Amino acid sequence: MDGWAGKILDIDLSSGSIKTYPLDEKIARLFVGGRGLGARLLWEEVGPEVDPLSSGNVLIFTTGPLTATGYQTSNRFSVSTKSPLTGTVLDANSGGYWGMQFKKAGYDALIVRGRSEKPIFIEIKSTGVTINDAQQLWGKRVLETTKALGQNDNKRNVLCIGPAGENLSRIAAIMNDGQRSLARGGPGAVMGSKNLKAIVVEGKQRPGIVDEERFKFMLYETRKLLRASPLTSQALPEFGTSVVMNIVNNIGALPTRNFMQSQFEHAEEISGEALTDKYLVKNSACWACPIGCTRISKTEKVEGEGPEYETTWAFGAQCGIDDLAAIIEANAICNDLGMDTISAGSTIACAMELTEKGLLDSDLRFGRADLLAATLEDMGYRRGLGNDLTEGSLRLGKKYGAPELSMSVKGLEMPAYDPRGMQGQGLLYATSNRGACHMRGNMLGLEVLGLPKLIDRFQVQGKSSYVILHQNVAAAIDSLVICKFTNMGVAEEYFARTLTAVTGVKYTTGDLIKVGERVWNLERLYNLREGFTRADDTLPPRLLNEAVVDGPSKGWVSKLEPMLSEYYRARGWDLNGVPRPQKLADLELADLREAVR
Amino acid sequence: MIDERIYQQFREIGRDLYVQGLVSSHGGNISIRVGDRVIIKRRGAMLGRLKPHDLVETSIEKNDSGVALASTELLAHRMIYQMTPALAVVHCHPRTAIAFSLSRDEIVPIDNEASYLLKKVPVIWEEFASGTPEMAQNLAKTLQQYKIVFLRGHGSFAIGQTLDEAFHWTSTLEESCQIALYAKLINEPFVEYRGMSEAYNKW
Repeated sequence: MDGWAGKILDIDLSSGSIKTYPLDEKIARLFVGGRGLGARLLWEEVGPEVDPLSSGNVLIFTTGPLTATGYQTSNRFSVSTKSPLTGTVLDANSGGYWGMQFKKAGYDALIVRGRSEKPIFIEIKSTGVTINDAQQLWGKRVLETTKALGQNDNKRNVLCIGPAGENLSRIAAIMNDGQRSLARGGPGAVMGSKNLKAIVVEGKQRPGIVDEERFKFMLYETRKLLRASPLTSQALPEFGTSVVMNIVNNIGALPTRNFMQSQFEHAEEISGEALTDKYLVKNSACWACPIGCTRISKTEKVEGEGPEYETTWAFGAQCGIDDLAAIIEANAICNDLGMDTISAGSTIACAMELTEKGLLDSDLRFGRADLLAATLEDMGYRRGLGNDLTEGSLRLGKKYGAPELSMSVKGLEMPAYDPRGMQGQGLLYATSNRGACHMRGNMLGLEVLGLPKLIDRFQVQGKSSYVILHQNVAAAIDSLVICKFTNMGVAEEYFARTLTAVTGVKYTTGDLIKVGERVWNLERLYNLREGFTRADDTLPPRLLNEAVVDGPSKGWVSKLEPMLSEYYRARGWDLNGVPRPQKLADLELADLREAVR
Repeated sequence: MIDERIYQQFREIGRDLYVQGLVSSHGGNISIRVGDRVIIKRRGAMLGRLKPHDLVETSIEKNDSGVALASTELLAHRMIYQMTPALAVVHCHPRTAIAFSLSRDEIVPIDNEASYLLKKVPVIWEEFASGTPEMAQNLAKTLQQYKIVFLRGHGSFAIGQTLDEAFHWTSTLEESCQIALYAKLINEPFVEYRGMSEAYNKW
């Protein structure tokens, strides 16, 4: 099984048992790795009877056949679990070094099940796997923990939770290599619920590659295209992901003050250009990445990685804040607490609107940059109002009588694009299996950046076809696992050819996209089994009913309903969003159908 | 009812194909996929002068009254949508590329742009090179591996996420063939300037 390590590591924290067993070859071929493999294993492991924060939930860390091969951005890995924030299927993936190192340790996946009675950490080395006492580490923040466990980028890599995960914050992230995160949906809380503080890996083996000559050619061609693309060779390295701040604002799709507006009058001050001019120390890159979008930023108080575009938006425009230094510091605090920045910022924005509407008695009002740091600390340690905020915006809104002010889908806070100004993005959010997510399909590319070609962002008819294709492509890329930014310079055709060269298994472009479609449908089945319905495939009422008042998107609401009906039909699902038998048979998922009848 | 925004896309790409000389007055056809439906140019309509009523919607899988109006190559378009992830298809008759296809089993570009974008374009053939199930099957199968394929002596079929993208591959191929033709006319030794280009014919 070249490409794949062919082995799964399974650790039960309740009993202390450590097992390894072979990766099923058919599952590997059908689901490839990463998110796909994680979803397939999760399907078997965690049913609807399992509370996400109980010992019955599992954490499944996965790599893919391209991981650690040296192919561009082949550093990423994924975690799958049932989300404590949304109750849906969840996967989150991250870059850095840890994923590469884990693959080199000789595994495709690690399943962590059960619950330890006391805090522990796991150490995976070529000499063996051990479960170790972590009582001295419990309570420590992420950077301190990472350092204490001996992080060394190319040799020994640390993945851990911070106080947010320990305190079961529903928006807690798992952090790796210090400041990279598996952030969305609260996987850090699942790790905290298991009393698992950290996982340390040391690996040695480079994975095998079937056709080295063809692989070298794909490396060469991919490098050529990444260098030729202004986005991957200039925009992202020079300005980071915030390069899109002004672009999205200019078209009237930058959600502002909890989505009450679609343009932020101070966008320029929090843009990628401003970050580069005032706070950038240098850029940095994950293992085997020629793009280098990572920012190393410095203010008077902090120096570290980030902030990304979504983070800058969440603490910036979404909260009506134009103080970029405060945003950089908020990002650093979230990283050190181990907390999802999008959900944290957007939940604070929800609290700000609740306060301004007189529904919540707090000092949090739009523009209060001075309160960000203390509020985030309170969230990480569940102190005062922070105890409510750390439950996420939907639970916060419900508690204070206005769930409609939660700008979320299925309970996951929406990222930095207003669906009223990007109709496809709205459909993408509404149908995303883990809740609102911009990484489930690159509608930004199609509707704004012209990747691969620009489409009409207000077009409704036919939009579902684009959304479906890009959801499938994203699921496939997440299953390889590589960084989606490569797809901004290199078409998925290259990934299929590279996968073939590495594994020796023939994948056409269509085959690879079909892997993504299979993963998407499996995740859909999972959510249906959990009790989710068509009613959950929606957007906050504000976006469906309140038209944008001015700017380039003036007069638009999200026209979700016609797009959703077209989407179900095009997916081969019935009117309730249940995959039809023929579709499941086509995807070799027919054996799972009984579970959702 | 076909959305005005979709009609505009057809009108613009259709006009450009004609203006660039990639089709004769009534030749060529283009389509997009909308879920399980295909929107395709009406049979006999002029690509350079498309009107809203020149767009026909029909099923990808089965016949309905739309087939009475749709382009001659509907079968090929349907098969392509069934067998590949394409959301758009552009079929036209680029003259220089047709000329090259008469003597080659594949067109391997020598210019920089097409080397980046296409690497290699296979040339396939069928005795009945228009509107037959055999041709449609052969074509769609080859398009599983390539984004543009040439039917010997007939024309190109390109796929993309949008008409814009499929048009891009088409015009790139024709431009590349024109450059190759000029190079032949100049008739001087070719100086290789690309790395690993020997692998293109294995693409």
